[in-house]
Amino acid sequence: MATIVSPAPTRRNIAVLKPLAEALLPVALSLVLAGIVLIVAGHNPLEVYRMLVVESFGSGKRIASTLSAATPLIFTGVATAIAFRTGAFNVGIEGCVNVGGLAAAFVGFTFISLSGYILLPLAILASAVAGSLWMVIPGFLKSRLDVEEVVTTLMFNFIAVGLTAWLVNGPLLAPGAANSATPMIADAARLPKLMRGSTLNAGFVIALACVVLYWLWGKWTALGFETRIAGMNPRFATATGMNVPGLVFKMMLLSGAVGGLAGGVHALGNVYRYVSGFSPGYGFVGIAVALLGRGNAFGMLLAAVLFGALATSGATIQLFSDVPIEIVNILQGLVMIFAVARFGFFARKGRAA
Amino acid sequence: MIDNIIHAALIMTTPVLLAAIGGLINRTAGLVNIGLDSMMLVGALVSFILASSNGNWIGALIGAGLSGAVMGFLMSLCVTRLSANEIIVGLGFNIVAAGLVRFFLKSTYATSGTLSLPDVTRLPRWDIPLIGDMPIIGAIFSGHDILTWIAWLLVPATVWWLARTRPGLRLRAAGAGPKSARALGLDPLLTKDLSTVFAGFMAGLAGAYLSIGVVGIFNEGITAGRGFIAMAAFYFGRNRPVMTAIGALLFGFFDALQIRLQGRGIPAELVQTLPYVVVIVILTIIAITSRKSRGAKI
Repeated sequence: MATIVSPAPTRRNIAVLKPLAEALLPVALSLVLAGIVLIVAGHNPLEVYRMLVVESFGSGKRIASTLSAATPLIFTGVATAIAFRTGAFNVGIEGCVNVGGLAAAFVGFTFISLSGYILLPLAILASAVAGSLWMVIPGFLKSRLDVEEVVTTLMFNFIAVGLTAWLVNGPLLAPGAANSATPMIADAARLPKLMRGSTLNAGFVIALACVVLYWLWGKWTALGFETRIAGMNPRFATATGMNVPGLVFKMMLLSGAVGGLAGGVHALGNVYRYVSGFSPGYGFVGIAVALLGRGNAFGMLLAAVLFGALATSGATIQLFSDVPIEIVNILQGLVMIFAVARFGFFARKGRAA
Repeated sequence: MIDNIIHAALIMTTPVLLAAIGGLINRTAGLVNIGLDSMMLVGALVSFILASSNGNWIGALIGAGLSGAVMGFLMSLCVTRLSANEIIVGLGFNIVAAGLVRFFLKSTYATSGTLSLPDVTRLPRWDIPLIGDMPIIGAIFSGHDILTWIAWLLVPATVWWLARTRPGLRLRAAGAGPKSARALGLDPLLTKDLSTVFAGFMAGLAGAYLSIGVVGIFNEGITAGRGFIAMAAFYFGRNRPVMTAIGALLFGFFDALQIRLQGRGIPAELVQTLPYVVVIVILTIIAITSRKSRGAKI
């Protein structure tokens, strides 16, 4: 009640500060808890965090590798958010990353006679189609038969990993290769580098485009509006004549397509083929990205950069100090937990997810 | 051959069944526990270290159960007191626990992935005289350890407890209608907390079975997603203990089968996905039949 009678400027200040505080608090809490883990293991957390910041933003080259590491997370974050908006708990983006990556690599090493102008878009398209097809069964089961999508999409992750592992060990194994990997893709299928001597490539531009499209879609299109209504109150949406199951199905496929892109861009821009163990959990970190960014396009971009920074600097500090890189996973998981926790003083009603 | 498969299937069933009973109680109280896998992993590690340093398997089991229970308690606090979404918290716990375990292995034992310690006391296996020599029956009843017995004895115990005891009924009431339960003077949040502590304890034991019951070695991938399979089992059983046990047994059988099928020309990677495919098929069948029984068109 107090906020209603309080003067307008104060309210506006709170409206700006609250989302920021809501996003910063989980990160701060996670840093404190991970700091305790570091202290117990005999490291100085402040020193470790200082190194993390320097290694991820200390120079142009380091910023480039941070953005490069953030690229797949932007896709998986947006993919997760698309499904979450509609009220579908799609935790199966990890599977889409894998099948999308394999599909893009397959096109990239199979149709090598095509020119780059055709081959590259074709390979990217293949990853989106594969990711989208991967969500057909869970999407159908959720929308038509009301089968818990959390369970089905989770199971589909395991199936995707098994299926792709089989394909790259058998039918698609590179001739003469000992480990489970496909042949390298043609040069024409590779995403061009944006910066010499770094892994940053055109995939980042596609990811940015994806975030912008997500923002425009959510803000200005009827479909974006419908998904928000359906996610907030499915009964109301049904009552106003929306076909909620149909909408959920469509959005599951769309989220799968974007998840597939994450794999495709990773295959065409960084790995240049598909290998077993291709994704170090991009799909799961994507959930954390979507939650921390609260499904907001700009917020998710920042969250993806944050997690990208953690991943890339974690790998470097492990090389130069004895801090295990797993501190990054601990931080990611903690952020995920705290991002959905409601702390009394920031409590807000009607929040998505 | 059949004896071997039965025995192997029962061994594979035990950890899934232990965790599934915990998850069943948890879900009956109104919390779907996706973090079972993390509690299993920590239980496996704690029991393994205790079994090596003390040489006492009872202490190792208690340690595993307690460590799982503590994790369950923390997870429950996030859900019940901080209103965090249980699915996200569960997934977060899996990520944190996997990270913590690897961090701990690296910083304490300077090893990545696999930990082998000297003098690990394994769970003793009980051979039953006379019955042990019989075909099939011997494979079913003989040569198992205490956790397998606990897992199977808990099935009828849970049926009885949920249906016939005061706390069992209260648990179901708290899960089915939290608001009505509160009106009756029960505390649904406390019930959720206690049920999650129990689920964590059981998952911890399940983890101990994997590390000191089956192999006597610890590996970061030791659970191999069995916490998720346990979740599938109680979904499959729709919270009924006997059906959940049958679900767990089904997955145990497929797990044993996939090991047998390896090296017979059938690719291991594909066979390993079988339990997950089975979960989807079964959930689909359940959904279709429950629709039909309600007379709805598909």
